Amino acid sequence: MEPGETDLHTLAGAYAMDAVADPDRAAFEQHLAGCGPCREEIRGLREATARLATAAQLRPRPELRTATLRAAALIRQLPPVVRADPAAMAGRAATAGPAVMAGPAVMAGPAVMAGRAATAGPADTAGRAATAGPADTAGRAATAGPADTAGAAGGPGTGSAAARPAASAGRTARGRLRGPLPRLALAAAGVLAVLVIVFAAMMHGTVRQLDQAQRRTHAIAAVLNATDVTMLTAKVSTGGSATVLMSHRQHALVFTAEGLRAPPAGRHYELWLKGPAGARPAGSLPAARAGMIGPMVVAGLASGDSIELAVEPAGPPRPTAPMIMLLGLGSR
Amino acid sequence: MPDGPDPIPAGPPIPAGPQRTAAQHGHGRALDALLAHVARGDERAFDAVYQQTAGQVLGIARRVLRDPAQSEEVMQEVLLDVWRTAARFDPELGSATAWVMTLAHRRAVDRVRSEQKSAQRELRFASAEIAYDEVTEAAEANLDRERVRRCLTSLTDLQRESVTLAYYGGYTYREVAELLGIAVGTVKTRMRDGLIRLRDCLGVD
Repeated sequence: MEPGETDLHTLAGAYAMDAVADPDRAAFEQHLAGCGPCREEIRGLREATARLATAAQLRPRPELRTATLRAAALIRQLPPVVRADPAAMAGRAATAGPAVMAGPAVMAGPAVMAGRAATAGPADTAGRAATAGPADTAGRAATAGPADTAGAAGGPGTGSAAARPAASAGRTARGRLRGPLPRLALAAAGVLAVLVIVFAAMMHGTVRQLDQAQRRTHAIAAVLNATDVTMLTAKVSTGGSATVLMSHRQHALVFTAEGLRAPPAGRHYELWLKGPAGARPAGSLPAARAGMIGPMVVAGLASGDSIELAVEPAGPPRPTAPMIMLLGLGSR
Repeated sequence: MPDGPDPIPAGPPIPAGPQRTAAQHGHGRALDALLAHVARGDERAFDAVYQQTAGQVLGIARRVLRDPAQSEEVMQEVLLDVWRTAARFDPELGSATAWVMTLAHRRAVDRVRSEQKSAQRELRFASAEIAYDEVTEAAEANLDRERVRRCLTSLTDLQRESVTLAYYGGYTYREVAELLGIAVGTVKTRMRDGLIRLRDCLGVD
């Protein structure tokens, strides 16, 4: 592909319909960050695609409404993005960057949302490089990708820091998380939503189950709301995948798995924490429900632990069975 | 609960379904206002948002994913995203409906693509004709649907096929080019021209 300006711009239609795979998407979003008219075009096209969705309307099962409302009541909402004083350009970079990206529900992807910071500035009229005043240029530095930083007052450092929060999140990703952060955030939100739906469903049980569910919900909430919560995923070698949300501060993690094969007769899946603190059994996995196992709360996470999964025979857990999944959890 | 006037309709919940749809666009601003309440943790406002959008979110998820169970999951995930991130909705960037539908479509498409990656699933065969017919076939009398259908017929065949395969089929433009046996560059321009024409025909902006 020749990523010329014209060539890129014709991607607007495909982009507005999410018909652009990752590498193209990143290139186009970089283009968008520096092109006000393009953002305006995307906005209009998305009003049109929204009508395509409206035309496809179906009637959801009534019980989904209850489940969704209950689930929402258990989810903490993200705070709004606080708009910085327009005079403080550095502050603007901060609000346009990771704070926005933390939201998985970012409408138009990072570039467009970040672009808002630029268009909100009083000096920005068309958002074009040719017409941009100094305020706009500085604002752009906060939002533009590397390709656009040549003319930006803030220099590449500012630009890449804001446009690629994934880099600054490398600490939490620890290299095990593949793909760009927005995808991850989406995935994390998905996991969170599923967790919460599971718990909302559990609320229908008996009072005793309710108590249990509440305790577990609380334990899960403590992990999910921890400032250092980190999501890791791993393939299970015998099939399926596992997702771990962990907080070293809370010394706990939440484990879920999907698509695991039923264990052979007389055996079960056993979870282990292993590390400098020794090997500790972390519980047997319950049976899958609708293909999904967990969420299980595992307490007692220590620095340097890894979490491992083994297929074991009945009897007390023994840390000698071959591991079918191993995930290093790092240190505090 | 805010003390001021409350835009949420009192009384019994609005039934979800097509009988309400015709009035919906007149309520576009209402959805914007509801989101502001949702952002402040108003569960009743969220219920109203659910009732205004869940059917459309489910509809687009189903169109892209085909699988009813997965579509319902996506619908719930999207609505919970709306709850979680309502404070990040910015009316300057577009209507509330467009915001929610963009979330919905993006999430449905992400799911299709991650499945394809993991399972190396074969490209589902779907002719553009099928994708297009579904718009007309979808049964219940619905002004929106009628209008969208009419506007889709105003597109050239290639524009319409490109748009429906991408939006309803969840294909990338490169996949659409492959399916239609035409150049990638042609598909890109047809998608853009088609959407622009659709936008103008629908009178949205």
